[in-house]
Amino acid sequence: MNTFAAERRPLDRSWWHLQWRHVQLWRRFLAQAVVRETHYRAHFLTTLLVGLVQLGLGIVPTLLLFGFTTEVHGWSRAEAIALVGAFQIVTGLMATFIAPNLNRMTTYLTEGELDVVLLRPVSSQFYLTLRWINVAELSNVASGIVVLVIGLTQAGIAPGPGQVVKAVVLAGCGLVLLTAAWSAMSFLAFWLQSVNPIGAVYLNLVEAGRYPLAFFPVAVRTFLTFAFPVAFATTFPVQALSGDLGWSPVALGVGLAIVALVLIRLLWRRGLRTYASASS
Amino acid sequence: MNTAVRNLRVLRRMTAAEIAQQSVYRGAWIIFMLANICVPIISLLIWRTALANGAQLPIDEQYVTTYFVLLGFVTMATSSWMAPFLANDIRLGKLSSWMIRPASLLVRWVSNNLSEKFLKLFALVPMIGIVWWTFRDSMNIPASPGRWLLFLVSIVFGAILVFTIDLLIAALAFWMDDVSALVQARVIIASVLSGAVVPLALMPEWSRGFVDHQPFRYTVSFPVEIVAGDLSGHDLVAGLGIQLGYVVVAGVIARLVWAAGIRAYSAVGA
Repeated sequence: MNTFAAERRPLDRSWWHLQWRHVQLWRRFLAQAVVRETHYRAHFLTTLLVGLVQLGLGIVPTLLLFGFTTEVHGWSRAEAIALVGAFQIVTGLMATFIAPNLNRMTTYLTEGELDVVLLRPVSSQFYLTLRWINVAELSNVASGIVVLVIGLTQAGIAPGPGQVVKAVVLAGCGLVLLTAAWSAMSFLAFWLQSVNPIGAVYLNLVEAGRYPLAFFPVAVRTFLTFAFPVAFATTFPVQALSGDLGWSPVALGVGLAIVALVLIRLLWRRGLRTYASASS
Repeated sequence: MNTAVRNLRVLRRMTAAEIAQQSVYRGAWIIFMLANICVPIISLLIWRTALANGAQLPIDEQYVTTYFVLLGFVTMATSSWMAPFLANDIRLGKLSSWMIRPASLLVRWVSNNLSEKFLKLFALVPMIGIVWWTFRDSMNIPASPGRWLLFLVSIVFGAILVFTIDLLIAALAFWMDDVSALVQARVIIASVLSGAVVPLALMPEWSRGFVDHQPFRYTVSFPVEIVAGDLSGHDLVAGLGIQLGYVVVAGVIARLVWAAGIRAYSAVGA
């Protein structure tokens, strides 16, 4: 058995190994969250039920809209339903991995909990953004996949492997971009103290992802692509699956995601310098 | 001094105190109201696109635009958010200390409701004004001040109705441990049935009889319809009558449930 007194290999301080340690740490967070979830089975059940009701009612506007017309700007009813599925998947993933963390941002700052995080031998931004995982929300991802498949089947779309790869990469970029946008809004807590209402702004803005980008006026489309990039999370992946999207939006998405990550990193460092601890 | 006058005086004092307290967070109210108008604006853009694209809606562009511009205001004015907090007060025994005070705990929640709405008004009205101005060409503005008066009366009725429904759900905490799932369900179901997501005029024909008469229509949709829609004089009177009926019925049920709950209440930590 290894004890702390035993001889250990010296810490590998290379950059790659540092990243690897964070991945391992995240796996521990996940394992702990799964164990924790098994203690609260009723919570899992209510999250599942509420999620299903939400999905059912969330699809109502789309169904009503296509009751009055057969296509809007090149989108058929089935494709719009597939889009609602994609939206459900992405919001489910955000609610699982990101929301439980960014919703705590105000507490971290106003109650001085950030002090304890800063002392740990881990990237504080990583810890703050990914520490808590709400496993129950994954049920919404599952129901989203079902809706997506139903929509695609109804539309008669059978995506090839290349299209699936494109869609997954685009949705991944969408997740990174949405996380960056929400983090940027949350990190304003360094200057504003309380950012709980900002979570509400995020949740309401993201609703735009329920509808295809083409349904909005041009100025709003630009906003939803570059400023609040929900288009990468829903519209572009579904377009990739239905086959009318080249590789250039994928390249654009990856480029934007990298820029967003760099910017959010800079914002975090800038904010951290203004942090003057709430306790002590 | 009779009870009503005393309660009103307490309410006035508490509302003033809450306003003073809450105005510390005036920045937060502005951001909250910004979130509040996001969904109506998204819906507005979507349905205008559908109309411009030749969709055969039963309502015209003026109706759609006026509806969604006013929607953000009416949902705010008739909203109630106390259920999870009041349920906590009951479950954790905070109600006990209010039972020996000269006013009900509910007076506190009424004052909280009024004061927050008063502050939200200052943040929301300029935002609605900007959206209104942007779409001024397709706004439907009734000329008669009577319509606007009825609009305000109907908002007051709607606000009382939402508050009472919220109270009924919170009162279940007298018998249940966790009402948060019920609260969530109420919010989700009400958002569709009240017309906050899609105008009820767009609901399919087969659901008309139900949709037009269920209580949630009278919490948001009906006040907006008074200004945006083409309700005839008869529809107006009938609608206000039904709304008042729902307010009275919900009020009586809430009174009975609350009284029964107080009798069933056993304080925690006392």
